[in-house]
Amino acid sequence: MAYVALSEAEKTFILHGVEEDFRCDGRSRRDYRPMELETGLVSNASGSARLRLANTDILVGVKTEIDVPNPLTPEFGKLEFFVDCSANATPEFEGRGGSNLAQELILSLQNAYESPLAFDYRTLCLIPGQQCWKLYIDILILECGGNLHDAVSLAAKAALYNTKLPRVTATLLDAGITDLIISDNPYDCTRIGIDALPLLVTVCKIGDYCLVDPTAEEEVCSTVSMVVSVSMRQDTPYLSGTHMTGGGSMHRDTMLNCIQLGLSMGEQLNKLLLKMLQSEETRVGPKRPKTVGFLK
Amino acid sequence: MLRVTQTKNTLLDGATIDSQLYTTPQDCEDFFESIEKPTTVVAAPRPTFIRVGVLTTVRGSAYMEYGNTKVMAIVAPPRELIRSNVRRVNMGVINCYVNFAAFASDDLEAVPEREKHLSSMLTKALQPLVCRNEFVNFQLDIRVLILDDDGCLLSTAINCCGVALIECGISTYDLITASTACIYRDHVFVNPTAKVEELLWQHRAGNALLGSSSKSKEEKEEQKDVQQHGLLIIASMETFEQLAQCQQCGYLKPETYVQLLDFTLEINKSLRQLIKRVLTERVKEQHVLDMREKQLEHQEDQRLAAIIEKLQQQGLHEFIQSNIKEDPYTAK
Repeated sequence: MAYVALSEAEKTFILHGVEEDFRCDGRSRRDYRPMELETGLVSNASGSARLRLANTDILVGVKTEIDVPNPLTPEFGKLEFFVDCSANATPEFEGRGGSNLAQELILSLQNAYESPLAFDYRTLCLIPGQQCWKLYIDILILECGGNLHDAVSLAAKAALYNTKLPRVTATLLDAGITDLIISDNPYDCTRIGIDALPLLVTVCKIGDYCLVDPTAEEEVCSTVSMVVSVSMRQDTPYLSGTHMTGGGSMHRDTMLNCIQLGLSMGEQLNKLLLKMLQSEETRVGPKRPKTVGFLK
Repeated sequence: MLRVTQTKNTLLDGATIDSQLYTTPQDCEDFFESIEKPTTVVAAPRPTFIRVGVLTTVRGSAYMEYGNTKVMAIVAPPRELIRSNVRRVNMGVINCYVNFAAFASDDLEAVPEREKHLSSMLTKALQPLVCRNEFVNFQLDIRVLILDDDGCLLSTAINCCGVALIECGISTYDLITASTACIYRDHVFVNPTAKVEELLWQHRAGNALLGSSSKSKEEKEEQKDVQQHGLLIIASMETFEQLAQCQQCGYLKPETYVQLLDFTLEINKSLRQLIKRVLTERVKEQHVLDMREKQLEHQEDQRLAAIIEKLQQQGLHEFIQSNIKEDPYTAK
């Protein structure tokens, strides 16, 4: 994570704030910072989202490509994550400075999206065993204000919600070769179901307490944090990937508490995100223009 | 389909040398049918062999066999951080490098990615173990060579590194032990083999889990009850019951997570006993070697003392004369 210089006194101040359940910016331990979310702002991408979580700024673009499925999973499409830590975020990211952090984010996203129950890879299938969609999810970190895991996963989910796959029709030619015809109409498209897509929740341990959505300063104070990936299915939360970061260890009971906290926060976040995305869609989403005459 | 007759080998405990070129989803299905499904979970480690100090080129080295998984770890003493890439932290930096031997894996394409993943997870697991405040501005390089992969790679690597660190004399807070457990189609496997892990990996399991698309009726039934699958790796330090790392993938209910967690902790406990014994034996062995060396030194001292005494008695000139063997050329 990006480095913030803090003195011992400042650290103690933050620590005491956490103990009192009144953090530096007035939140309690279970509160998130205000978020701004905007979808569909990159015209060149099939789907995009920009998330601003206080000072953390993330831009996600989804590109689509037609690929050949893995022979072991003929009915499954493919996902590929890429994270770019822009040098705008911190001078530390200059050159190859951000590659470690980017790698960590890619691995935790891959891990979370790996299960076919978390992401239904069959929606990306065109012709089983022959053609499938491959989605490239490019994540750009524009500013680093702590809690990157959560912000990145929220933005990725929003971008996938926004993704429009053009409708494809196949015609069978000679010798079993199929020819794909991709629809020209921008409104003729399929969407990806995002109900079960996982969200990452970072639960940070400062002193004896666990909290969510740490700022960059709080991240410096924490001894260990746990990244919990929460996927909702039939209104019950499931774990689709967890790991610990931050170079500390914790007791079994603390860890189970962290997971519980992560699951309940993930549930709420998921509910809110879906609500916000749907209301944005109905208010400013693309409306199908009325067709007049024979012109489409 | 290409099939090669399988060769049995006594060296590998009757394991088959597997050279199946292509696998299909049906093969995975068949394999799952063929394996022994444990009815009761026995939380015990596999047959384990650990040898400390296997190399003379580095201070700390260890070799570990966990069933058929074979891993070697090398720890060099900390060296100074190169100025240019200093991260301004008041802790020592740990770098882990995991490498597969060229013959360890048959899926060569996936090797670089797995190496990266294992390296980063291993680094995270070892960070809480090492007293990093003791070597500020230094970096500790830990290298792991995987000779054979039969599942539980990360946990074996963690165990092996823990032992190698102690051999190298790096101060640690505790002994670290790690183990793996997984669940697949309601069967809990502890210490899963490479084949079982492969079933879970890369949504290969997914096809089987979701059922083929034609069985829509069954699918609806399955939708009610989500089939859990997942893998859990826990590294723990028993003294204060701390968990150094927990990595989970797959799709699990929180209750199942706790269940798997308790299995791995059980295995970690018995592994810890083993590692303790190996380390005490190593210390004893070292002690015997030290004693022998001391004895040799003592003998050498005695010999020198005798010479000096002789010298004092005879005087220098005579002593030299008595020790010069007559040169046949000068005598002429």
